[in-house]
Amino acid sequence: MSALGGAAAGGEGINPTGTLVGIVILLVSIAATYALGFSIIPLIGIIIGGALVGFGVHFVPVGGAPAAMGQAPGIATGVAMLAAGAGLAGLFGGAWAFEATGDFAIAVAGGAVGGGLMMSITCMMVNATYVFAMGIPAASGKVAKDPITGDTFPEYKSQGTEGHGLPFISFFGGVIGGIVTGLGGTLIYLALLGIYETGLPVIMQAETAAIQPLAISLAGIFAIGFFLVNAVLAAYNITGTIEGPHDPKFKRVPRAIIGCAVASAFCGLISMLIVLNTGM
Amino acid sequence: MSVKMEASAGKLSENTLMIYGIVVALVGTYLTYLNAVTGIAVFSFFGGIGAIAALWWGSDTIKHLCSYGLGTGVPSAGMVAFGAGAIAMIAGTKFGLASPIVTLVLAAIIGAVIGYCANNIINMNIPVMIFSLMKLSIVGALTMLGFAAMCTGTFMFNGLVIGGMTLSMEPAEAAAGGAQTFMVTVLPEFASSLIGGAALTVIFFLGAIALQHPFNACLGPNESQDRTLMLAIEVGFLSMFVVAVMSYAFLDIISATVGVVVSLIGWVYSYKQYIALSKRDAYAWLDAKPIIEVGGNE
Repeated sequence: MSALGGAAAGGEGINPTGTLVGIVILLVSIAATYALGFSIIPLIGIIIGGALVGFGVHFVPVGGAPAAMGQAPGIATGVAMLAAGAGLAGLFGGAWAFEATGDFAIAVAGGAVGGGLMMSITCMMVNATYVFAMGIPAASGKVAKDPITGDTFPEYKSQGTEGHGLPFISFFGGVIGGIVTGLGGTLIYLALLGIYETGLPVIMQAETAAIQPLAISLAGIFAIGFFLVNAVLAAYNITGTIEGPHDPKFKRVPRAIIGCAVASAFCGLISMLIVLNTGM
Repeated sequence: MSVKMEASAGKLSENTLMIYGIVVALVGTYLTYLNAVTGIAVFSFFGGIGAIAALWWGSDTIKHLCSYGLGTGVPSAGMVAFGAGAIAMIAGTKFGLASPIVTLVLAAIIGAVIGYCANNIINMNIPVMIFSLMKLSIVGALTMLGFAAMCTGTFMFNGLVIGGMTLSMEPAEAAAGGAQTFMVTVLPEFASSLIGGAALTVIFFLGAIALQHPFNACLGPNESQDRTLMLAIEVGFLSMFVVAVMSYAFLDIISATVGVVVSLIGWVYSYKQYIALSKRDAYAWLDAKPIIEVGGNE
């Protein structure tokens, strides 16, 4: 539902021509990275991270304005805001874990836990607000029975609404979404950090230890940029509201994965230009 | 295929706004180079003026994009604009004096790729999608470049990443006559700079909020172009004020104060103008009328 009343765009299915051109852009970005003399491993990390962000956003139960009025299930805000919250919390968690341990696996796991924790706290407080402040029970409008707990919904659903509150499956989806987006965001950050930690000392002619704060800041700012681009692309794929993994809109997820991978590949190529020696 | 529901026909066409926005943003950013020419940093505030021009144009572009049913709300467009713009802006500052131009070109290319992903891979099928995301990426990149130039007094990579210099003194071997000599080396400090201290992230979100707020606040059946654009200028000056306060960390006191004074004067003026325009539009609705359907295919 658009705030302006326009019909929501976005048909079902995959556009073959667009997807093919997208994959060509992705391969050209990888080839250009190789031709410029960079390792392509970080770029692969960025592409996988971007695709994970696009995938994870679809799990998050987004209700938008109708949810704030108790007319649709989900968390009462937009996709981009929720994904940014979960992903940035994961990013900070992962960055902190990498700073403390220097271990890739622990950092990625820290990012996933950070994002999942953020989403589980959000979902719990949202449900507390719905149940105790607004006085509405949790009921999904898209399915009759919760796929995990087996709770039935139609008895609790108010007439004229698409459901309301945050049923367990949506809560579950939110936590999974937080974990996956946090993991993706941390993967992007670590890939960029690797590039800048090795590349910046060479072009700036400085010691590795002195350049460390700059490498961390640059990787962090770029990771936020990548994250928002991928989250908004996924939000455009969802077009408005989604209840979680049981929602029929979840079937659109392959398009978002391809779109986010292509956008991440190209943006990754641009972000590597920083450490390209241009002589200026 | 979506139906276009709304777009208040403004006095200024989209292309006119684009030309003004790009020219003023580029000229404003380039005027900060006077700092390097004259040796004093009082010209930094021109960067903020350029950034406001970009925001002014961008809020009209957002209006045209979001009048199609995106389904995700207006703020998402501001976020994607600055996400893409940040990447283009940091990469663009590497190119010395040509940085603003390179930033513009890089942002247009990134915006086109993201727009293509949204329109053709994700199947949004919105006619203005690719061009709008190109323009929004340029807006995001030029706004960040303008504010960064205002904050530090330069738009070049070294100025943005090197916060200061420290002298390191190491005792060298004793010279003839028993006098101790020292070897002095100049070490750049990165952690206290705009990018190294991650203060650019603040500029990122200051700009993103200023870009998405005007249309988000003014949309509706009696939205009028001059009121939305005046609000864009008002929130632009408000963001510029915060950037001016931040610039105390990077510039001398006089230059930073010039920025604060300019942004405060601009904000007070544009706030008064915006309130006057709001009263005008509210008065037009004094006798409640049915909502006018603007545009559409009736």
